[in-house]
Amino acid sequence: MPFTSILFFLFLTGTLIVYYLLSVRFRNYFLIAASAVFYIYAGAVFFLLLAAMILANFLIGLKLEQATVEKIRKGYLILGVGSNLVPLIFFKYWNFLVGNLAKLLSVVHWDFSFHYLDIVLPIGLSYYVFQFIAYLIDIYWKHEKAERDIFRFSLFIMFFPKMQVGPIERAGNFLPQLRKKIFFDQNNLVEGGKRIVWGLFKKLVVADRIAIYQSAVMSAQDQQSGITMLFASLIYTFQVYADFSGYTDIALGTARLFGFNLMENFKRPLLAKNMGEFWRRWHISLSSWVNDYVFTPLAFKRRSWGIAGVFYSLALSFAIIGIWHGSTWNYLAFGLLQAVALMYEYLTRRFRKKMAKTISPVIYNNLSIVATFLYISFCLVIFRTDTFSHAGAMLNSIVTHSGPLFYDKPSTLLFILIGCLIMMLHDVREEFKLFRSSLVTKNWIVQQVTYALLIIYILLAGVFDGGQFIYLAY
Amino acid sequence: MIGTINTKKQPPFLVKLLSFLIILFFLDLSIGNLLKNFYFKQDSGLLYRSTYAMDSTRADILIFGSSTANHHYVPELFDKELHLTCYNTGRDGNSILYSYGILQGVLKRYTPQTIILDVYDHEFMKDQESYDRIASLLPYYESHPGIRPIVRLKSPFEKYKLLSKIYPYNSMLFTIAVGNADFNRDRALVNDQNGYVPLINTWKGPLILDSSHVNYELDNTKINIFRSFISDCRRSNIRLYVFLSPKFIQYEHEDTTVAIVNKIAGEYGIPFYDFTNDSFFLNRRELYFDKDHLNDEGAKIYTSMVINKIVRDR
Repeated sequence: MPFTSILFFLFLTGTLIVYYLLSVRFRNYFLIAASAVFYIYAGAVFFLLLAAMILANFLIGLKLEQATVEKIRKGYLILGVGSNLVPLIFFKYWNFLVGNLAKLLSVVHWDFSFHYLDIVLPIGLSYYVFQFIAYLIDIYWKHEKAERDIFRFSLFIMFFPKMQVGPIERAGNFLPQLRKKIFFDQNNLVEGGKRIVWGLFKKLVVADRIAIYQSAVMSAQDQQSGITMLFASLIYTFQVYADFSGYTDIALGTARLFGFNLMENFKRPLLAKNMGEFWRRWHISLSSWVNDYVFTPLAFKRRSWGIAGVFYSLALSFAIIGIWHGSTWNYLAFGLLQAVALMYEYLTRRFRKKMAKTISPVIYNNLSIVATFLYISFCLVIFRTDTFSHAGAMLNSIVTHSGPLFYDKPSTLLFILIGCLIMMLHDVREEFKLFRSSLVTKNWIVQQVTYALLIIYILLAGVFDGGQFIYLAY
Repeated sequence: MIGTINTKKQPPFLVKLLSFLIILFFLDLSIGNLLKNFYFKQDSGLLYRSTYAMDSTRADILIFGSSTANHHYVPELFDKELHLTCYNTGRDGNSILYSYGILQGVLKRYTPQTIILDVYDHEFMKDQESYDRIASLLPYYESHPGIRPIVRLKSPFEKYKLLSKIYPYNSMLFTIAVGNADFNRDRALVNDQNGYVPLINTWKGPLILDSSHVNYELDNTKINIFRSFISDCRRSNIRLYVFLSPKFIQYEHEDTTVAIVNKIAGEYGIPFYDFTNDSFFLNRRELYFDKDHLNDEGAKIYTSMVINKIVRDR
């Protein structure tokens, strides 16, 4: 049930009305039932897997907390993490692993015929597996207490707004909210509604509009000019950002309608001045997960290695981020390219600090934003392609193919540019706290007209047919 | 977000909700009507051609179909050879669903003497894209009740979406603006000849050999609409011809759609001419714009052949 479909909004409206009509103590139970319906709609079999994993993690969490002997605690942790990774590897990485193993063995003339699986990845698996693992590690580290209410624990995992594309929620943020009684608050409806409208704008007007252009360009990639490929590569960065953050906005807005605050996943990443900052702003729930549960423990463990230990931890952490997106070598390379950039930033930090003092801050900061954007756009060429040769061909065509920019008709470019401009102006305004005391924020009628105009623009320029969320496949 | 809530001196929630809905309703109504006005004021361009086909043409011969119809049939030649007026209603990227919608608009006004329906291979394949593209008919939903059942095929929610006055003109803002601009009214810039849009340039690529035999899922709705198209023409005593245009592709196997068209045309006694794998066109790369479309020169030669077939059938 895509968040931009009419069906979803019918489901949401119905769920919301019943939710607030019910007595406060029944509301969470109702949300579990609604989330189950939402998930079963995607596939009943997948729901069984999810239910089994919820039960297993709930029990392991309790056992882990009760155990006092360190060896037994560790045993429960390994059992818990392992039992979460098995379905993830099976559904997401099996074909990739056996495919590469077969290639490796063929080098030494061992020809094994492995069984390849023709199965669909259960929706949200990568997200909820990471939530389970974080929950168990937090209990192991004694940062969190194990949840004793199976229903509350179920809702923590399967709350429908975050099932499809996250955020990868933490027990420390979400479980306490589930313990509170949520009463009707008009602010939740207004703020949630506004967030949903903004998410729809990003998804339908910006991301899906660019997707149409990308589809046309990529379908005849060999015939495109270098300038077309360059333009397509640059706007792909806007597309991915608008797609994922737009979807996240809808998820966060939906959760807010029910009175919950999910964690922020994006903080204006395209205005980052370096790659370190970028990863503190982009897919925050994933990057902070990897930081907390992989990088920090690993860097601590390898502290005796000095700088090599930090780089080793960085490489491994970003390899996980890369491969989390999908099972190809390109995703792994995408992750490692991020690690390389961070290593470079670490090594040149003093030099860059000195340089910043010699140039006007405005120029330095803007150049840094542009350089970061270009590096991300370059990395996304590898991210979006299936093989290195395909990525190479794309990059090669940028420098070798001459010719004019393909744009079908002027309105194609206009829609894309206006959408990106509005999205980025909004980010700039938030980033630099501009126009805070303006009429728009003070007067409720002006606010209403502003949001009504945003909806009107979605009706005018949104793409309502076809198109899937890029991140759904993860 | 654009702004956060200011709790001072605010009216009750329901009042605010109501006022928001009223603002939205009036903005939608006024902008929608403005777009409608300018949409139907256009006198050239892609959108205008659909309106002209639907509301104005009284040509003796009408051409229906997708891009292969639009770029392959030259009305001027029909006029010259047969002394019958002709209009090309073909529209890029559309299918039998669009053609049938236009036919409903036409039959409501008058009965053309002859109709040429250009079909393409894979036309009866089940795909969402064909249904999404029924959007081309949305501006006519209100004024042409006959097309409503076709528009509703797009999605079960279409009639609710159409409560918005802007929705029928979604993604058309700049096209409508350009269509009403003075520079666009200069006929020298307008490149259509009674609906026909010539393609200039010559295909440089090789002849494509298609040895695949793809078994795709058939769409019974499209097949039924094809049957309805034939039935409506027969009921109105319109002479119907079905053509499959040449392509710079050599097919090893017969396409499933082509086999079905052949069978249904046979059932109804409708002449069906298949120009795919026609040796004349397979050897003349200079007549193509791309592998799927003839250029202007190719279209003129092909139209002459179509006219010959029609003359022979008379």
